[in-house]
Amino acid sequence: MQNDILSILNESDALNAKVFSLVRLKLLSSLAALGPDGATYRELKAALDINDGVLFANLNVLKEMGYLTSEKITSDGKELELYIITPEGQNEWKRTKTWLCRFLDCGA
Amino acid sequence: MNMEKHKKVIAFFKELGFEFNISRFDDRLIAQKLVCLLDLRGINLGYPCSIYVRGPYSPELTQDLFEFTNEFENLKTGSRLSSHEKETAGELGRIFGLKPVPLEVGATYGYCALRQNCDPLEALRRVKRLKPFYSEAQIALGISKAKEFLYKPTQKDLDELKKETGIWQRASLKSLEH
Repeated sequence: MQNDILSILNESDALNAKVFSLVRLKLLSSLAALGPDGATYRELKAALDINDGVLFANLNVLKEMGYLTSEKITSDGKELELYIITPEGQNEWKRTKTWLCRFLDCGA
Repeated sequence: MNMEKHKKVIAFFKELGFEFNISRFDDRLIAQKLVCLLDLRGINLGYPCSIYVRGPYSPELTQDLFEFTNEFENLKTGSRLSSHEKETAGELGRIFGLKPVPLEVGATYGYCALRQNCDPLEALRRVKRLKPFYSEAQIALGISKAKEFLYKPTQKDLDELKKETGIWQRASLKSLEH
């Protein structure tokens, strides 16, 4: 693996460019840590401080890409939407994180 | 790394009468918050918590809940609790009663106060920011339970309390004389 900036930039071709928005990166990294347990919509909204329109739209994009699934659950008598990262989502997050670390490490 | 550490957690669940079911969201939440509160109380089960979007949380515990589901659901364990651990489990069960909301609020408050060294007002502010979907009453109840479980009054606290309430006690005794 080469460490010059051009090689690192070219490695980004293997990544999904649609993941590179701040909101999507926040969502993927948050949900990757929770694995199969997932997080509810209201938890994501509160902790990440994202408004409804932006959050809903980005969760849907990640779902369409196959990186998240959602299901209805009941918690303390309330029906809530739970979002869980898929194995594809975990892999994409790992690839993205590895590339970002290399990118930042090279001093770019 | 201790490969058997989940067995100690199961022993706590057994002591608490917690019938864990992996498919229930609330059960997974209760499991997380019980382990976090025990950790805050000084019982290190090997699952350190950190703050995630779900509040104080241990991804490693989640991993084990899913890997050893059968053992957790059937409370299979060879691990035994010491008398101190049993006593602590008893207190935890008596104060929180396996209810997800107070456990979640209490663990979040305790984590902010003890691990992040926040003063009580800042800890309350952080709980409200992370859990704005709970009512004021639910938050107040969770915090009061956390204080009861996590803080033991010192002799100085007890003396201050005696001084504060002494005047009322004396007045009430005096009123009985009439």
